[in-house]
Amino acid sequence: MYFDVNGKRVFATTGGKPFDNDKHAVIFLHGSGLDHTFWGLHSRFFAFRNYAVLVPDFPGHTHSDGPAVRSIEAMADWLNDVVAALDIKDISLVAHSQGCLVALEFASRYPQRLRSVSFIASGLATPVNDALITAAENDPDAAIAMMLGWGFGSAGHLHQGPIPGSSMVAGGRKVMRGNVPDALATDLKACNAYKNGKQAAAAITAPVQVILAGKDRMAPRKAGLELVAHLPDPEVTIIEESGHMVPQEVPDRCRDLLKAFIFKNNRAT
Amino acid sequence: MSRFLNFDTLSLHAGQTVDPVFGARATPIYQTTSYVFPDTDTASSIFNLERGGHAYSRITNPTVGVLEQRIAALEGGSAAVCTASGMAATFCAITAILEQGDHIVASTQMYGGNISLMKNTLPRFGITATFVDPTDTDGFGKAVQDNTKLIYGELIGNPGLDILDLEAVAKIGAEHHVPFMVDATFNTPYLCRCFDYGANMTIHSVTKWLGGHGAAIGGVVVDAGNFDWGATDKYPTITEPYAPFSGINLWEEFGPSAFATRIRAEAMRDIGPSMSPMNAFLLLQGIETLSLRMDKHLANTKELLDYLTNHEQVSWVNHPSLPSHSSHELAKKYLPKGAGSIVSFGVKGGREAGKAFIENTELASHLANVGDAKTLVIHPATTTHSRIDAEALAAAGITEDMVRLSVGLEDVADIKADFDTGFRAARRFADT
Repeated sequence: MYFDVNGKRVFATTGGKPFDNDKHAVIFLHGSGLDHTFWGLHSRFFAFRNYAVLVPDFPGHTHSDGPAVRSIEAMADWLNDVVAALDIKDISLVAHSQGCLVALEFASRYPQRLRSVSFIASGLATPVNDALITAAENDPDAAIAMMLGWGFGSAGHLHQGPIPGSSMVAGGRKVMRGNVPDALATDLKACNAYKNGKQAAAAITAPVQVILAGKDRMAPRKAGLELVAHLPDPEVTIIEESGHMVPQEVPDRCRDLLKAFIFKNNRAT
Repeated sequence: MSRFLNFDTLSLHAGQTVDPVFGARATPIYQTTSYVFPDTDTASSIFNLERGGHAYSRITNPTVGVLEQRIAALEGGSAAVCTASGMAATFCAITAILEQGDHIVASTQMYGGNISLMKNTLPRFGITATFVDPTDTDGFGKAVQDNTKLIYGELIGNPGLDILDLEAVAKIGAEHHVPFMVDATFNTPYLCRCFDYGANMTIHSVTKWLGGHGAAIGGVVVDAGNFDWGATDKYPTITEPYAPFSGINLWEEFGPSAFATRIRAEAMRDIGPSMSPMNAFLLLQGIETLSLRMDKHLANTKELLDYLTNHEQVSWVNHPSLPSHSSHELAKKYLPKGAGSIVSFGVKGGREAGKAFIENTELASHLANVGDAKTLVIHPATTTHSRIDAEALAAAGITEDMVRLSVGLEDVADIKADFDTGFRAARRFADT
């Protein structure tokens, strides 16, 4: 569905059910350069279990108007504007990678409607090397290749995947090419500049879950455990066989973990 | 593994997860109709497209799934759907987006089955086509109508072997916001990845060079994932709610694999032209050696082109790698490794000479197939293209003396010796 936030058109998928803001909600946040389709194997599941599901494209990504937002803090503000625009209540936030930094900021500054937060494949910060940022600015295809190359584990590179006939890597490439031209570079610079992770994590009061990946090269286990150390009493799972793209590489395992956590902390009525 | 794998590696490994129970290195043949669900929640989620998985082999099967992911990987596509044959793939792909009142712009130089489908069968369902000479690139744009929803062609036209200017036609498609589908059977992704030049979907008869052994029939549709279905309201089957799956919007939910998902959700379920697991296994064995075989096909083709062009009983030879071919420059651009292993030529003496040649070769098999490991010959005017009318025959560049040769992998000296026998039998017609 499309709706307006601050005069800009925003797209979000709702998991195949009309969005009903009277229901308990699950909001999914995608990572750098990606879009709503990243959560396809999770959003529909919750929508058909009586949750109001919202999977927005961040500004400048696929169907949402640009420009891309320039800082993690501003993305959290934008998310709060989305929540206000749709009057969403009882929110479980599920975030991946860059989305986790946004979730950190949002959860620490806008806790009122939050019932749980699930962080997937993230640390307290996401330092990005200069070569990747330079590539994203000057040669987006090269940057996309770097990110997909590092992002996916063996299953992705072997074009295996949970959906028969589909290639996760090729699908990701098409999505990343569909953004406004500077979206990826803007995302990466925002990640690189974000330094407030420790303070934000410590300020979170909602129940939190952390899902890390044993073969993650973009948010390595050490960085993830640092996030864990600063969160209040998180439920932690490390999926050893997965690379960074956990929700796509091991969707069934990831969904089962999310289901157990969200059903416990934000049960649909 | 952090780098993208190259073509030969993907040919061997893409799509396969090593069997976790017995460790089978080859892809197992999952010869089963159905799959035991661990619980009702999992079952309902698979049926509702909430999660991947298999419910019934008419729609998905693990062995077929490996083949689909392997071909998608080799093509650079976001998703693929295998079917019982190449023609089934074409039909499913077209009907996934076109409905009554819609229109196709298609090349005149295509496999006879494709032409018949668009000229005879689809009009019964209210879908019409305008055929355009593949060398008249501008003609594709001129033929586009308000109701045109597909541009269709073969990179290497069959049997005239004219090369379609992929980039130019893709640009026309993009300008009119019409997807461009290419039957890439003759080139395979080893010779040309059509998506690199802007095509939006490819079709293969996997039976041919991809399989290569002539032991199994199969087809595939590959979705590049690069067409913006939502930019207009012309493609409601992709962008509007689909009632059988609780009103799912495939474009919103599946993005770059929305088109492939429509085929899976509708054609495979409601029509059911499924590939058998056994055939998928056999075709996978072929793909494992695709590049090796294609290189030998090309080497033998080169030798036979030398032989035929210098043979006194050959009136003409047609192959895009020959400088005399009108598509030679396009062949160099799109097919730098080689322009495939189909050759057409005329035998001096016309129809009877051609017939004598075909009937007197022993090694070269006279049959209706191409892309086999074995050398094949046929007379298109009386076989593969016999069901199309004279006008379409002429438009496709088919003459009565034409012999279509699919160059195999035999020792090329043996092929030449076999052809010598055929030409000796044809000589008496050349002299009359």
